[in-house]
Amino acid sequence: MEGRPLRGPTYSGVWSPDAIEAIQEKAELGRYQIRGQATKRRDLPSFDDLVFVPAGLSRMPLEGYRERCDTRIVIGEGRVKRPLVLDRPIMIAGMSFGALSVNAKRALGRAATKCGISTCTGDGGMHPEERKNSAKLVYQYLPSRYGLTPYDMRKADMIEVVCGQGAKPGTGGVLLGTKVSAEVARMRDLPEGVDQRTPSRHPDWMGADDLPVKIQQIREAVDYEIPVSVKVGASRIADDIKLIARAGVDAIVFDGMEGGTAASPTIQLDHAGIPTIAAIAEAAESLRDMGLKEDIKLIVGGGIRDGADAAKCIALGADVVYIGTAALIALGCHRPIHVEDYHRLGTTPYECQHCHTGLCPVGITTQYPKLIERLDPDEGAERVANFLNAMTMEIQLFARACGKNRVHDLDGNDMKALTIEASMMTGVPMVGLNGRVPKWRTY
Amino acid sequence: MSAKEKIALDCDKLGIHEINLAIRKAATDGIKTVEILHPMARHNLGVAITDPIHLVYKGDVGYYAVSLSDQVTAEIHGSAGWGIGDNLIRGEVIVHGNAATAAAPSLRGGTVVVKGSVGPRSAIGLKSGQLVVGGGAGYMTGFFMQKGRLIICGDTGDAIGDSMYQGAIYVGGTIGSIGSGCRYADIDAAERDELYATLDKYQIKAPKAFRKVESDHSLWHFDKKEFEVWKDVL
Repeated sequence: MEGRPLRGPTYSGVWSPDAIEAIQEKAELGRYQIRGQATKRRDLPSFDDLVFVPAGLSRMPLEGYRERCDTRIVIGEGRVKRPLVLDRPIMIAGMSFGALSVNAKRALGRAATKCGISTCTGDGGMHPEERKNSAKLVYQYLPSRYGLTPYDMRKADMIEVVCGQGAKPGTGGVLLGTKVSAEVARMRDLPEGVDQRTPSRHPDWMGADDLPVKIQQIREAVDYEIPVSVKVGASRIADDIKLIARAGVDAIVFDGMEGGTAASPTIQLDHAGIPTIAAIAEAAESLRDMGLKEDIKLIVGGGIRDGADAAKCIALGADVVYIGTAALIALGCHRPIHVEDYHRLGTTPYECQHCHTGLCPVGITTQYPKLIERLDPDEGAERVANFLNAMTMEIQLFARACGKNRVHDLDGNDMKALTIEASMMTGVPMVGLNGRVPKWRTY
Repeated sequence: MSAKEKIALDCDKLGIHEINLAIRKAATDGIKTVEILHPMARHNLGVAITDPIHLVYKGDVGYYAVSLSDQVTAEIHGSAGWGIGDNLIRGEVIVHGNAATAAAPSLRGGTVVVKGSVGPRSAIGLKSGQLVVGGGAGYMTGFFMQKGRLIICGDTGDAIGDSMYQGAIYVGGTIGSIGSGCRYADIDAAERDELYATLDKYQIKAPKAFRKVESDHSLWHFDKKEFEVWKDVL
């Protein structure tokens, strides 16, 4: 239009560059797209929709650096012989050797050990280097059963029975052939270089009625020494939580649809599962309904970036948060080094989601020796430990500001919701209503 | 056999955990045989037994008998529930009756023999070792098989060997259908001799002939424009 100021390209709302690129790529490949990391959606309800309402005069805050604020949490206390004691309410989420390099595993293990928390094997078995470097290690028991032995189960500090994950609930795993190195193939009993797919269900049990029998088998295998948890991707979470709790576990793990992955169908990342904040509220309510909220610990992951997100999870009912992607970013993921290698992948630092290719420029999600060498496990461990320390201080900051001397005393009354949707999903009061009850509260 | 070489555990008098602890203790004490009386299809009888011992189950067992175990031999004088021999590393389990769904799942080694028939999805995710079946097998038996050997003397259901990576399936009866990513293969004389020797060892009546099913490798790489192959498997 004459006289109208010049502006940038005007993309269609429907046929956005991403939508066009996706169609063109599928037309080229003849299959769905696969990528790593997490959903690209920006319209999900998020932790940013909640804010803390710290103490003023109606409640007194704790002194920031002087008064104690306890962060310790114990899983399986009074239930097993050797409960899992975590110095902070944070665990490193399951990420397999195969998805990650051995140096990434070493670094995460050392960082977790420094901080008194656990790391987790992920799929593919227990790598000896991971066990050696992790004082507390959760062993995942998955549908694939790769590398599973009773000997490794007994070396673990908790067994996590995986029935799904937030990034791709309802589907099995994918590890493309570029990451199935000779060592990965040996540990998984697979041909080297094969595009590995894993089943979406366990091979030897089916559904909630069988789960208690499977849990009993695992408890027998570890002689009731260590806790047992079950993990699902957040989807039909309220019912799933009740069925898992009924099976007699010590902890329940889930991650929302923001949860990370090393490789997943892109369409699954963006269109399956429910957001983490919605899932926590449902899950905590299910456990409260059953009178088991104190007995069974709730471990929550999916898009947790910092201490604020973690504190909000706890206030909504989580006991521990799982961090995966955030730990990898602390380790060096997206770091603007070896930028030319990001460019070779057709991406840049800060937007890279190419974990699935096995060509990680910073040596984290790769099995190529020359790339693995780029990650110094000690330097990486220090970075991750620094991040964990910062995150812990942030959680304590909110707890103290709300007048709590235990981070686990944070609850829904310490927050307000900025959006009606977040308020409805979580039960956290809407800002600006000052206690007035909107009609929908009675729904 | 002296009393020290053999003990009996009565499931009517002991709990599951007590039975498993007693078997493990017997194995470490060097007792050669444990008889398990009145199993009455109870679950998890014989879990994580990792020292050499011989188990004799005097009746039907439930889910996961002789599971997550190593260096164990066992005979079950009855039928078995789901997941018999689950994740066996080394050893031998002989079921004189039938076995339910997912017999011998994810074996890492050793042999599971079922004189009768097995349910669907048996030998699922087999990583090594072998399952030998005197009767027939249900649908999707050999699903996601990775290595090892599966011998079925009778008929099978559909989708046998679906998505298998490696290993070999031998069927003596009628095959309902083979699964995605599978093909029929020839059996050479040495293989045939070994099959019949195995059946002879376990006193299973051998069929006149076998058909062999193996992976055609078409599902090894997810970079092919073969919709007809992939539509059913992912």
